[in-house]
Amino acid sequence: MRVGTKLDSRMPIIETVGLRKVFRSVKRRPGVGGALAALFAPEYEEKVAVDSISFTVEPGEVVGYLGPNGAGKSTTIKMLTGILVPTSGTLRVAGIVPHERRVANAENIGVVFGQRSQLYWDLPLRESFNLLRSIYDVPRDRFAGNLRRFSEMLDLDAFIDTPVRQLSLGERMRGDFAAAMLHDPQIVFLDEPTIGLDVLAKEAIRTFIAEVNRERGTTVILTTHDLADVERLARRIVLIDDGRAIYDGALERLREEFGTHRTLVVTLAQAYDGVVVPDAVVESREGSIVRLRFDRRVTSAEALVRAVLDRYAIADLTIVEPDIESIVRRLYLDGYAGTPGHA
Amino acid sequence: MTGAPARRRPRLAPYWEFMKVAIAREATYRFGVFASLAAFFMRVYLLRMVWLALYAHNAAPRGLPLHVMLTYTTIALLMGLVLDIDQTRALHDRLHDGSIATDFMKPINVPLFFFADGTGEVVFRIVLLVPALGLALTLVHIDVPSFAAGAAFLLSFTLGYFVGFFLNFILNCTAFWTLEISAVQLIVTWLTDLLGGELVPLALFPAALGRVAYALPFAAMFSTPLSIYVGLIRPAEYAGAFAVQTVWLVLLAAISAVLWRAGARRIVVQGG
Repeated sequence: MRVGTKLDSRMPIIETVGLRKVFRSVKRRPGVGGALAALFAPEYEEKVAVDSISFTVEPGEVVGYLGPNGAGKSTTIKMLTGILVPTSGTLRVAGIVPHERRVANAENIGVVFGQRSQLYWDLPLRESFNLLRSIYDVPRDRFAGNLRRFSEMLDLDAFIDTPVRQLSLGERMRGDFAAAMLHDPQIVFLDEPTIGLDVLAKEAIRTFIAEVNRERGTTVILTTHDLADVERLARRIVLIDDGRAIYDGALERLREEFGTHRTLVVTLAQAYDGVVVPDAVVESREGSIVRLRFDRRVTSAEALVRAVLDRYAIADLTIVEPDIESIVRRLYLDGYAGTPGHA
Repeated sequence: MTGAPARRRPRLAPYWEFMKVAIAREATYRFGVFASLAAFFMRVYLLRMVWLALYAHNAAPRGLPLHVMLTYTTIALLMGLVLDIDQTRALHDRLHDGSIATDFMKPINVPLFFFADGTGEVVFRIVLLVPALGLALTLVHIDVPSFAAGAAFLLSFTLGYFVGFFLNFILNCTAFWTLEISAVQLIVTWLTDLLGGELVPLALFPAALGRVAYALPFAAMFSTPLSIYVGLIRPAEYAGAFAVQTVWLVLLAAISAVLWRAGARRIVVQGG
């Protein structure tokens, strides 16, 4: 059941402006004396968890929301889900200010936490689904249709009548995904959804997210440390660090702008003592395999290959594109000065 | 949670489901069921031995002949099967492991969810209680009250149940600030057992301690319904007894509401 304001399809489904959250906590001091002092004469300290984050998400988008631990990712998610009141700034999710109308907002969203299950531990998976049907007041035929479709996509039939505590992590996560989608949420928040899963289970989950997004136009906000999730699912990413958005834009553009370094992997046909090529740095050398790093703004791959062929006899050549992980790592370390609007 | 406008009538169906799920969950822990029944019969037997021995050597206190004392003890322990349940333990558990956040992400009234969950556990225990009561009646030969006293007892027991419920909820709410409540809970359990009159009727207490005990909410849980059952509170005094229970009920419910609001606010402002 939809309670949200009827949305104009051109209106962003999520909008935050200058979103900020400051936590005040008792300062911890070391030792028993410190603990007692904190008990009777507490000193407070303020921690800025989220510092002026502004972004918009269009309906049907899949956005990777990335950042190192403690960057403010889950604080943002908590504000968007309505369980945390921002210190300042504004936000709207499907036309609703989440913390002002928590219940109405909750009907529009679905949430999956990789580290925390919303299923009933002691009961068969099916019982949790039935309970969720009642909580979200999903019409019975709609519920039956969704359950049938999700069972087929996630292969739930094999364990739907097994108590959740007896499920493997992969099975439980598949159950959690179905649980989060049964009420056709407009937006789903996925927090580390593939953490701890094996390759096959990860693939099943990623395929499920992609299909739901395509079939139903569900907006997906994906928080993860596994960049393979992002590469597979999100065309756009928001990178945050230290409570601030340091990049917001297309994943491809990130690769183009920041992935300026490529690596030429050369297998030498003969033994050479030292390998020196102009405009390239030897990244590593293991036996006959030499990795040469170059900046495509300084030299082209073609020129570099020529230079290598002029100097050495080689058996093989490959060019390695920068992976998104190394780009993101560089951004965290160096920061990003630009103020990109998203593509 | 913070004064969201009521847009439409809350649906009760989910809470009915929460209750049913709690009953099903309790039923999966059958060992606990048998253990609590075994403990019940052991306690009835031991207390019966104690009172038989004490009464053999002493004159019966006024208004409390042996058969009344045995009835009181048996009914008190039967009530304990329900009143000793930590109904809103789930609140403490979910605050402790942080999963309370996911409860707030659902379109539900969160305290009502805990209430429904605890009620499921209580309903399950009451199903147990019926056979236990049957056995107690045949083995211990307890007194059967008049229809009026029986009905008054049931009403008083219900009021006492809710006094206990809110007391329990208040205790579990303190976990919003402390995260850990087991020590406080243990103290309150002892206070309830003793000052509530579950083990020894308050009529036998020394005058000063008795006055303290009557002035505390614990008496509203055990002593009042039990005194009605065995006739220590006469029909003319029923209204007054219900009134005192109701005052405690309303007071504790109000404290519960204030604590819940402050706790929920702490979550939304401090992130738990």
